[in-house]
Amino acid sequence: MVVPGAVDVRTVLRLDPIYRLAGSALTSPYVLGAVLVALALGAIVFGPSSESRFIYTDF
Amino acid sequence: MAERIRGRVAPPAESAKPVAWSRAFEGAAFALRTAATALVLLVALDTAFLAFFPTFPRLADNFSPAYLAREARQLAASRPVVVLGDSVLWGYRLPVGDAAVTQLRARDPRWVNLAYEGGSTANTYAMLRILDHAGVVPRAVVFNVNLKEFNSADSAYDKLYPGVERLAWPLLDAADRGKLERVEAQTVDARLNAGVESIWQLYAMRSDLREALFADQDAAHALQDAFEGWNGTAARKAEAHRPTPDKFEGTYDLSPLDDSNTGVYFLRRTAGFLRAAHVPAYAILTPANHKLLHDYIDVPEYRAQLSFVTKLLGTYGVRVLDYDRTFAPAEFLDNDHLTPAGNVHLARLLGRDVAL
Repeated sequence: MVVPGAVDVRTVLRLDPIYRLAGSALTSPYVLGAVLVALALGAIVFGPSSESRFIYTDF
Repeated sequence: MAERIRGRVAPPAESAKPVAWSRAFEGAAFALRTAATALVLLVALDTAFLAFFPTFPRLADNFSPAYLAREARQLAASRPVVVLGDSVLWGYRLPVGDAAVTQLRARDPRWVNLAYEGGSTANTYAMLRILDHAGVVPRAVVFNVNLKEFNSADSAYDKLYPGVERLAWPLLDAADRGKLERVEAQTVDARLNAGVESIWQLYAMRSDLREALFADQDAAHALQDAFEGWNGTAARKAEAHRPTPDKFEGTYDLSPLDDSNTGVYFLRRTAGFLRAAHVPAYAILTPANHKLLHDYIDVPEYRAQLSFVTKLLGTYGVRVLDYDRTFAPAEFLDNDHLTPAGNVHLARLLGRDVAL
C-alpha cells in the first residue's frame, strides 16, 4: 500500500546498491565468490589478533 | 475438488525425480562456480600480496613466521650484516628511524636488523639456524649479550619468540630442545591453523599486515591507543611507568655462570656455530645504566659474569665490543634501552668497530 507523502527509506538511506549487490550475490556465483573473499579479507584485516604473541615485559 | 487440489500440489511421481536432479545439479554447479571464483581471487590476491608487501626496516612487534621466512629467503640473495639480539638493538620505544641499526642501514643497506623484543642467547641461536637453513651467508653477524637474560626469571631465558620457535624447532637438536620451554600451543586447532598458514600467505602474515596498517597488533588496540592518547590515559600510564631502582630488584641474577645456565649453553652454541660457519662475529656487551642499577650491578659478581662471557666468546674467536660502561646515564630510557641520542652514539660505535 502506498501512503501518500511517505518517504521511501531505501531511497533516503541510499540502500538500493546494497540491495542490488545482495540480490546479484544470491543469483551470481561470481559475485558471491567475490563477496565471500571480501568478507574473509575484512575479517583478517579488522579481526582481533588471536595469534601466539610474545608479551614483552620490561620492568 | 479434492482431486484437483491434489493434482495441483503433488505432480505425478515420474516427473518429480528429474526436476529434483536438475535442481541438485544447478545447486552443485552454482557452488562449484562460487568456490572456483573465490579460489582464483584468493590465489591472485596472495600472489600480489607476496609481491608487494613491504620489507620493514626492523621486525614488527608481532612478526609472523611467514614474514621471517620471506625475509630470510630475500637475504639469501645478498651478503648482509645481520644484527641479532634483543629490544636494545631493536630500538625499544623508539620510532624505527631512531634505532641505531636503521641509522647504519641508511648509510650502508647491507645492515639488517633482525633483533626483536624478547631476544636472548637462545633466540639468537635459533635465528642463526633459521637464516642458515634459508641459505643466508652473512658478511658478519653482530649480536648483543645482555646479562639480565642469563637470569632464569627473565621472560626470554628459555623461551623462543613464537614465530622463531615455529621455524627453528625442527632445526634444533634434542639437547637444544631439552633446554627450552615450548611456547606455541600443540593443539589440533593450532596445527590446523598452521596448515592453513602454510598454503595461504596473506593469512599467515596477517599480524604483519595489521602492524603495517594500524601500527598495532589489531584495529581494536589501535583504536584503544588513540582513545587513551586523547583522554590522557596514555600519559598517566607513561608517568607511572618511570624507571626507578626498586623496579629492577631481581632483574639480574649474579650467581656465578656455568654451562648449566641455559643462557650460557646457547651463547656457546651461537659462538660455536658462527666459528664453524667462518662468519665474522661481533658480540656487544649490552650498555647498562650503572647510575640507575648501581646497587645491583656495581659489584664484583657482575664484573665476574662479564669476564666469563668475554672469555667464552674469545675462545670461539668472537670479537667482544664491551659497551657496558660506555654510555652516560642520560642516554638511557631505563636500565638498558637507549634514547634517540643513545642510539646515535651506538650507531657511531658500531660503524667504527664493525669492520666490513
